[in-house]
Amino acid sequence: MAINHLELVSALVDGQLTGSELEQALDLIANDDNAREVFMRYQQASDILHGYTRSINRSPLALTSRISAALQDEPDYSIAAQTKSTAKLLRFPNNFWKQATGLAMAASVGALAVVGVVQQQSGVDNLPMASVVANEAPTAMISQSNRWTVAEPEIEDRLNNYLVDHNEYVGTSGMFSYGRVVSYGTER
Amino acid sequence: MRQRFRFCVAMLVLFIPTVQAESASIELLERMSQAAKQLNYEGVFAYRSGKTFQSVRIYHRNNDGTESERLISLNGAAREVIRSNDTVTCINPDGKQINVSQRPLGRGFPSDLPRRLRSATPFYELKMGDEDRIAGKLTQKLEIKPVDNYRYGYRLWMDKETDLLLKSELIDDNNEVLETFEFTDIQTGIDIPNSALKAQMSGNEMIMHRTEPGEMTTQDLAAFSNWQANWLPEGFTLVAHQNRLRANNGAHIEQRVYSDGLSSVSVFIEKMRAQHNHFHGGSHMGAVNAFGSVIHAHFVTVVGEVPAVTVEKIGSAIKYAGPEQR
Repeated sequence: MAINHLELVSALVDGQLTGSELEQALDLIANDDNAREVFMRYQQASDILHGYTRSINRSPLALTSRISAALQDEPDYSIAAQTKSTAKLLRFPNNFWKQATGLAMAASVGALAVVGVVQQQSGVDNLPMASVVANEAPTAMISQSNRWTVAEPEIEDRLNNYLVDHNEYVGTSGMFSYGRVVSYGTER
Repeated sequence: MRQRFRFCVAMLVLFIPTVQAESASIELLERMSQAAKQLNYEGVFAYRSGKTFQSVRIYHRNNDGTESERLISLNGAAREVIRSNDTVTCINPDGKQINVSQRPLGRGFPSDLPRRLRSATPFYELKMGDEDRIAGKLTQKLEIKPVDNYRYGYRLWMDKETDLLLKSELIDDNNEVLETFEFTDIQTGIDIPNSALKAQMSGNEMIMHRTEPGEMTTQDLAAFSNWQANWLPEGFTLVAHQNRLRANNGAHIEQRVYSDGLSSVSVFIEKMRAQHNHFHGGSHMGAVNAFGSVIHAHFVTVVGEVPAVTVEKIGSAIKYAGPEQR
């Protein structure tokens, strides 16, 4: 799109056009996809700058949706995890740092979500729940890894031996119970 | 008098169907347990827990009462478990380890579930569910809800033709599924050749660890009585006890198994031999919880597919009551 077209669209958004220039700009965004997209972008930016958010119904929501999706991909956090007792000696599993990084990212994304909601607080009633999820941020994390959360390989080996011996007496899931043993330490 | 008679009849009419339904559920569980032991089958089941998703191939053969079984993970490292009447072999290609655990000879697969099932009824509500299709087979669903928070619930799907368990879900007190096992493909009543029950991995460059049955001497029996489990969930009783000897390091381990008929926990008591560490508090692996402590120079560890609070309360209440208390 030509530079003068960009200037024309910008001027349209700013309300500076009249007469034939206005008609020319309206024709442009009616017939040129690129010009229409630029107009929408400028209009949204202008609305945000001026504190008008009711008209924002596409990109910001898409952003919020993306934030929600990102949060849904993060590990589950729950206050209930407080009842899960944790060994005093902890050996962080291989994916610990990945999860910790994910937690930090979730916090950052959560902050963004809150900003997004502040911008839209009067405009959109059916927001995705990203901000709510962020506000309910957890005090503890449930490890979804299927490794023992213990400090040393020696203790892990000991627990694995116990698991095998215990499996002999597992009743209800009987035939499946050794599935836990052959799946040990694997993640999708 | 007549009113009282009518009341009794009404109660009987209401009560009998409940008892009959419960009895039918117990019988189904008993048939399920027998089918898992007696049938030949080969299939692939999925195991899901948290972020874990694994496909596992299973072969099971009963040859005139002699059971053999092999499981192998189909994704990632080819971990294997091979069970025979007297041995459990776990092969971990990643860690280059083979763990061989021998049972007392002639014991076979130690499932005495059918004998204990009826003792579980006061602690669970059993409800027959709908029919469903699993792995292309028509199944009967059975829901098992615990009466307290010291045990998990189950949802089970049994093949209507063979009574074999085709899907199992472990449920917590929030009704969340903690763990799922589900066949995606299964064949029953087939010949399982010896080759299917042999390890895929060769033993080259693998480190072998052996565990053998430890003999119970009079001294062992005396020492056994020194350990007391002062708290167990209602309905849990001692159902098995064995001594084990880790051949590679000489560790003597005592295992006690407590069960209410459906759920079970094992208490392991292992004498410390040197400056070895143990964990203090809780740990978990998938839906299996453990609680560790050191008491009277012994590692005391409770392991079971029960909530964390259960292993913690059991572990915290184990006391050494013998001589030389420290």
